[in-house]
Amino acid sequence: MTVDITTVEVIKGALVYAAEEMGIALKKSAYSPNIKERMDHSCALFNHRRELIAQAEHIPVHLGSMALAVRVGLETYRGTLEPGDMLLLNDPYISGTHLPDLTLIAPVYSDGEVVAYAANKAHHTDVGGKTPGSIAADSTELYQEGIIIPPVKLVHRGVIDQDIQAIIRSNVRTPEVQMGDIRAQIAANNTGIRRVQELTESYGVDTLHEAMDAIMDYSERRMREELSAMPDGVYSAVDYMEDILPGGGDVEIAVAVTKQGDEATFDYAGTSDQVERPVNAPLGVTVAGIYYTMISVTDPTIPVNDGCFRPITLRIPEGCMMNPRRPAPVAGGNVETSQRNVDVLMKAFSQILPERVPAAGQGTMNNITIGGALPDGRPWTFYETIGGGSGGRPMGDGVDGIHINMTNTMNTPIETLEAYLPLRFKAYRLRPDSGGPGKYRGGCGIERTWTLTSEKAVLSIMAERNKIPPWGLQGGRPGGLGVYTLVRATGEEERLPSKCTVEIRRGDTLVILTPGGGGFGDPVERLVEKVADDVANGLVSPESAERDYGVVFNPIRLEVKELRRS
Amino acid sequence: MPLNPEQGVVNAFKEYLVEREASQVKMVGHATTIATNTLLGQINLDLPETALVTTAGFKDVIEIGRQRRAEVYNLFFERPSMLVKRRHRYELDERVGHTGEVLKPLDEEHLHAVINEMRRDGVQSAAVGFLNSYANPVHEERVCEALRKKLPGVYVTASTSISNEYREFERFSTAVVNAALMPVMHTYITQLDEDLQGLGLEAPLYVMQSNGGMAKSNVISLKPATVVESGPAAGVIAAAWLGEQTGTRDIISFDMGGTTAKAGTVRGRVPEVVPEYEVAGKIHMGRLIKGSGYPVRFPFIDLAECSAGGGTIAKAVNGSLQVGPVSAGAEPGPACYGRGGMDATITDANLLLGRLNPGSLLSGGMDIYPGLAEEAFDRLASSLGVSAEEAAVSVIRIANSMMSKILRIVSVERGYDPRGFSLVAFGGAGPMHVCALAEELEINHIIVPPNPGMFSALGLLTADLFHDYSTPIIRDATEIDPPNLEEAYLEMETEGSATLTQENIPDSQRRYIRALDIRYRGQGFELNVETATPVTRASIRDSVKKFHAKHREVYGYSAVDEPVELVNAKLRVVGQLEKPRLKRRRKNRSDLPQVTRRVYYEAPGEWIDTAVHQRQSLEGLREGPAVVEQYDSTTVVYPEWSCRPDDYGNLVLRRLTR
Repeated sequence: MTVDITTVEVIKGALVYAAEEMGIALKKSAYSPNIKERMDHSCALFNHRRELIAQAEHIPVHLGSMALAVRVGLETYRGTLEPGDMLLLNDPYISGTHLPDLTLIAPVYSDGEVVAYAANKAHHTDVGGKTPGSIAADSTELYQEGIIIPPVKLVHRGVIDQDIQAIIRSNVRTPEVQMGDIRAQIAANNTGIRRVQELTESYGVDTLHEAMDAIMDYSERRMREELSAMPDGVYSAVDYMEDILPGGGDVEIAVAVTKQGDEATFDYAGTSDQVERPVNAPLGVTVAGIYYTMISVTDPTIPVNDGCFRPITLRIPEGCMMNPRRPAPVAGGNVETSQRNVDVLMKAFSQILPERVPAAGQGTMNNITIGGALPDGRPWTFYETIGGGSGGRPMGDGVDGIHINMTNTMNTPIETLEAYLPLRFKAYRLRPDSGGPGKYRGGCGIERTWTLTSEKAVLSIMAERNKIPPWGLQGGRPGGLGVYTLVRATGEEERLPSKCTVEIRRGDTLVILTPGGGGFGDPVERLVEKVADDVANGLVSPESAERDYGVVFNPIRLEVKELRRS
Repeated sequence: MPLNPEQGVVNAFKEYLVEREASQVKMVGHATTIATNTLLGQINLDLPETALVTTAGFKDVIEIGRQRRAEVYNLFFERPSMLVKRRHRYELDERVGHTGEVLKPLDEEHLHAVINEMRRDGVQSAAVGFLNSYANPVHEERVCEALRKKLPGVYVTASTSISNEYREFERFSTAVVNAALMPVMHTYITQLDEDLQGLGLEAPLYVMQSNGGMAKSNVISLKPATVVESGPAAGVIAAAWLGEQTGTRDIISFDMGGTTAKAGTVRGRVPEVVPEYEVAGKIHMGRLIKGSGYPVRFPFIDLAECSAGGGTIAKAVNGSLQVGPVSAGAEPGPACYGRGGMDATITDANLLLGRLNPGSLLSGGMDIYPGLAEEAFDRLASSLGVSAEEAAVSVIRIANSMMSKILRIVSVERGYDPRGFSLVAFGGAGPMHVCALAEELEINHIIVPPNPGMFSALGLLTADLFHDYSTPIIRDATEIDPPNLEEAYLEMETEGSATLTQENIPDSQRRYIRALDIRYRGQGFELNVETATPVTRASIRDSVKKFHAKHREVYGYSAVDEPVELVNAKLRVVGQLEKPRLKRRRKNRSDLPQVTRRVYYEAPGEWIDTAVHQRQSLEGLREGPAVVEQYDSTTVVYPEWSCRPDDYGNLVLRRLTR
């Protein structure tokens, strides 16, 4: 090792910054609100051996799976990549997530050799398939979910391949938006390429490689130290997804974590078989959940790269929901199953590290896709996910109205949506009494309500925790269930299932209530002042305060009248 | 922070006017960290009971924010505490559409009920923000008018008056920050203005804004959100000016005052700027975390900051040592000031470690009580189970590691190698810590300006007046009616020109810089390009052409066939001011007799007898370790470093070998 510590630090900082800058370039030049406002994308840099070396902290489900997409994508591709070429793919059985996530990979050349790869993954608002937005709730096989792109050379020496572009344009509902976003993805990779080339110019290729190795070795050392400090043993957990099987049956995700010395094995034996519903999680999604959990429960300051995951062994049976075989549909795998995967993993780790694991958060992303035609006939599609409550934590309340675990996308400003889409918003606020009671209360869910102002549209919902609530820990109660209600223009109300596709018409209003987080610890141990504060702020009703926390309020002045906590 | 913070400024003027005429003063430039300190939870600067009046159904927009957590992998993340309690968010029945049409008229009865509620709840300052108000502010204006009339004494901020652009959360947040700061800042600025007039000063009072330009006091007292990073901005402007005067191209400015430390970057003599900033945001692993602070949409000199200042308090929490974020400020100040401060601070640690003069500060103007610092550290040390000296060393180490991270943010994290930069150290405490930080970043060149404690103030003499205006357009370039757009600019120019008239700027010193925020239709972010006066079809075409070119430059592609949207018309009104030059200093004949004192250096981890020099009489090269004392600061030159005054009175420190 000849490279000094400062150089490693400088290169590490520059690589992380380069990945972040790629994200900024992508976000800024993207077309769809999904990317430009919500940041539903991720950027990363890989070394010449295709190992993840630096990531921008965007969406955990992308980053865990992008490592797979880059490795398998490059292995699968038969041709060669020249300077200025870029590879596009979205096949979930290669890229690891679902069809709307388009992955774009670019080699970084220096003096005629590949020294690194820049890659990004962005969630497109439409990739064809049976419903606008391409997250149909009722697909039975992958082919219904949209265009499947194997690794193909979309960019030849800086120029977009017109033939491939023509195929994509013919298969999606909003080709201008998709091509605009793809161009933004190209811009992001160009930024990454430029930054890495600057590093090779400053430090030379050998130093860059050595520094990259040192960065991964450091992360590996830190992760092994963390694992060593945990008690050895086998820790198992199970959680469920609702209304999946024909007739409304639930399915099961089971994991056994074996911790021994400075290594850990994750075994999914006992998990339900793959299903003919779009909730199967491709391998990349499952792995992403494991990586996310490992980093969250150990030390989030460990730089995230492939080094972190060297001490981890995976046993995920082929043909189960968490490692399905083609052509099982997967649209909801990385948005819903990924969340439950983390719930199961966290439940296992709550036995290993009870002081570091919160109660279950909302456990869903509340995926809403909607599309139709604008007055001038142009088609439109919109996709969003909605936050909810995070789980109550050892030493503190959960957070109200926020995205948890495998996603961290931003909302789209209402002013942007109303300016471009036929939607008028009625409410966007926190949802009282939805946080699971506990010594540390679970976070409250969100209410988001809008009315359609165009003639008709197709609405797809893909959500969870409408039947089985987020669990509490150590005496904490479950969080509030999610509820989807469609209020027709006629005033007629209809409770929608958590996974459905329906047609809506002008004046119909969708009322979305997202789940709250589970509570942590016995609610009667909650400080009376905190209960009083929640009541004054309207997040806990006086009724709930009395029933759940044993604090009785004067209903008019909202002052504490008596305690019934024995 | 003193109870009447303006008193310090007034006292300084009293002293200044002992030998000078008030009529000689042509301009008073001021920068203040009061706004920042208020948001950071400074003792004696209480946030008011702030309210938000907003569209029914949307009271939690300011809490949910962008619904994302600031730290992806931190299971213990927290939102910043809300500036407006949920019970003080009032919803009103009203609705405006995105084209500006009124969908639901404002319910006047409801408004009056809400006003009564606000009175009953003891609201002191109110932000008013409605959905789509950028397209039509009629309801905001009506509510503000009613609030001003019915609730005299309550400060009122309309969201469109402070940030007239679309995206509700950022606009509301900017308004809320403004509202939360209004009582403190309005009182402060108004009082200062009055007190200065009371001294016979007729010159206008200008305040530095976060964008690096100045504005007059009456403008600022209504828009305190524009000065949140006022002090630090001035510091970076001064550092840029110093770079110009000394021929130093790339600078990291390091400013350590009583409450916080800040770092900025000057590359090729230009300070780096960002269009939006999160004030009082959290820094984790040396990075400002998006979503951890309060967004303010206004151009900001790009800064990183942390809670490490001379007055920053060290506490034992569950057996571990925590430095900051609370500061004892200047009042009561560090324990050693003898003004009743009981907590151990960074200044106390520096005193115990021999870096500060144990007799007095401010060249004898202020007595220092080392015994009180010792007592404070004994208390801290006993709860940690270590010695007072060990505790003091730990406090310095932790503070330095916090500060080295902010230097990394503005260099390493931006992809710049700090080893090619010079550090400009200022603020009362900056020069005491700068060698340790330079060691950390392997920087070999440090400049300590002549008066480090007052250096930020120099930025006030080297800045121009800036007023930034924005009018939303959000329309295809082909649909723009040039006379309409011209009128929007003229309106802004009239407003800016009136402001410059108030600021006594002659016509010859006025500049109007027109720009357009442009994007491809459907894009979420705009690029800012300058545009010609007056607006014509040709000028718009020309700006669109510039946009395509800039898009290609910034993002690597352009799409000339795609529809292009003009988002905002922007105007920067500049009032040019005269700027000073550095004077060559006269050489000193000889050094005054030296004293020595024992100083602790954490690098070798030992006490070393160290020569103590007086800055005003220092001449020639001196090798470290050395302490250089002056009225407003103390420079600690570490072993392996040397110092030498340059021709302009800057103290230049260089690393001997590495």
